Amino acid sequence: MNRSLPFEIFRYAAILSLVALSLIPTLWMASMAFKPIAEWSATGADLTWWPNSPTLDNFRFLFGQSSSELIVALDRTAGQPILSSLLSAVFGTLIAMISGTSAAYGLSRFGSGGNLPLALIQLRIFPPMAVMIPVMIMWAYLGLIDTWYGLALVYGIVTMPFAFWLMKTFFDDMPREIEDAALVEGCSRLRVFWKITLPMMRPALASSALFVFILNWSDYLIALLLTTRDWVTIPVYMASLSSSMTGQLYGAKAALGLIAAVPPVILGIAIQKHLVRGLTFGALKQ
Amino acid sequence: MTAAAIDTSPTPIEHEDVRDSRKLGFWLTLPAQLLVLFIAVFPILMQVYISLTDWSPLDGIDWWQAHQLWNSFANYTDLLDDDRFWSALGRTALVMAICVPCEFLLGLGLAILFVDNFPGRRFLYSVLLVPMMVVPAVAGYMFFMLFQSGGPVNDLLSFFAGSPVRIAWLSDPNLALFAVIVSDVWQWTPLMFLILLAGLVGVPEDQLRAATLLGASWTTRFVTIVLPRMKTIIIIALAIRVIENFKVFDNFYIMTGGGPGVATETISIYIYKVTQQELIWGYVAAVALVILITLSIVSAYAIKRMSQSRETSQ
Repeated sequence: MNRSLPFEIFRYAAILSLVALSLIPTLWMASMAFKPIAEWSATGADLTWWPNSPTLDNFRFLFGQSSSELIVALDRTAGQPILSSLLSAVFGTLIAMISGTSAAYGLSRFGSGGNLPLALIQLRIFPPMAVMIPVMIMWAYLGLIDTWYGLALVYGIVTMPFAFWLMKTFFDDMPREIEDAALVEGCSRLRVFWKITLPMMRPALASSALFVFILNWSDYLIALLLTTRDWVTIPVYMASLSSSMTGQLYGAKAALGLIAAVPPVILGIAIQKHLVRGLTFGALKQ
Repeated sequence: MTAAAIDTSPTPIEHEDVRDSRKLGFWLTLPAQLLVLFIAVFPILMQVYISLTDWSPLDGIDWWQAHQLWNSFANYTDLLDDDRFWSALGRTALVMAICVPCEFLLGLGLAILFVDNFPGRRFLYSVLLVPMMVVPAVAGYMFFMLFQSGGPVNDLLSFFAGSPVRIAWLSDPNLALFAVIVSDVWQWTPLMFLILLAGLVGVPEDQLRAATLLGASWTTRFVTIVLPRMKTIIIIALAIRVIENFKVFDNFYIMTGGGPGVATETISIYIYKVTQQELIWGYVAAVALVILITLSIVSAYAIKRMSQSRETSQ
């Protein structure tokens, strides 16, 4: 809009300072993850923004190898929580994608579903905390508390609205001529959906699935309520990395935080093109 | 008359196809319907039932026998006198009233700077989206570290002040509220930026160019051409943040646990604490239900208004 030199200088200055602000917290955690224990909680003049003697001790510690400095014995290693986060997020994504995609196709092509679209928006508006009490009672009754599949089931239901709305906009965008041609050839509706539509939708399915996976991976509250010990997820486990005896295990927490933060950041940048569509429930496209 | 009648009456094959499609549509939407029934409809009925009792998981009574602890509407009348609930609700509104406008203005400003191309635009755009992708619980932990009294925030302040600054951010009620708000703005400004930029880019360029030729200033162009076209997008962006901000839990709870005292206790943290620590689930069910019903009414009205305005604009 404006091309004068002062404007360009202002633009770069403003953008670069905001970029710096948005990176500092993440970089601080990344740097903390590689600091030896002596540099963790240094204050005043000792505070270092960059590790003086970088080490992988924090990561080793998370997986059960104590070093000469970190002699605290971990109750459990970080392996199981990472597995729990992965299993529940992956299977939650599968549940959300299968039910959401088929319902989206039903609505987009045949107008089926009745009140489903509205119900799914409302499901999204409700704070999870306000619907979790009966779910906790049900899960306790069904023996699903503290299991990865119990968690995956809730994740699947909570993120299904996203899978549904994303896939619906992709189906709406798809030209119907190809499907019609196959119908004329004598294919059944189901066969057209399975053999023609879904293969064509592969890129859309992939980006929707990644989007839903990020949401599931990012959860904290639901895992906090539904897991207690064996299948706690990464963010819940993180809280156990501090106690009155050991104090805050800053470095170990930062290392685990880094492990948790990397996958969604990479996946999110990979599906950048579809983020607006996903976040606005398909109301807007980029 | 006859021609139309012939056209609309379906041939036998078409009729079969319509029936087939309807059947297939039913089966395709069934899993989603069942899941909604399982997690929304049934649990909410259960919640209505429990909310009328004094039931708690420690009583040793199965939940379906909660009617033994029937207290009619005591939970709902208690709610009116529950100062902690109302203050949590007020605090949630306050946080929203600060966070959402900050995120909107910062996001809009950034989006305006990003509208036209400049070297490095793609890369900087991706970098700016990073905070949004960080797991909120991890973001909470990051800011917990940053705001320690010996942490980097005080370190930076000391650098500018020239003398050591030792502010205990997270243990002062007002400063703690400020700190959690900062973490929310940090994480969600990128979302506003992303949505608003998508809207700004969609404003037709020829109109802007024509207005420029006619001598309209940047401000005039922005107010008369850009803003009216962005109206729906701005409403959507604000609505998303208002909804999500109302639910806020993860970063707040990790940074302060709702404290010091109840200084950063939002409605989600309040419900969580009553559920976990005081274990009076009958009462919590009533609180949750009041929130759900209020939100349902508000959202149903908003959705209706929005689809109406979309129809009239089309």
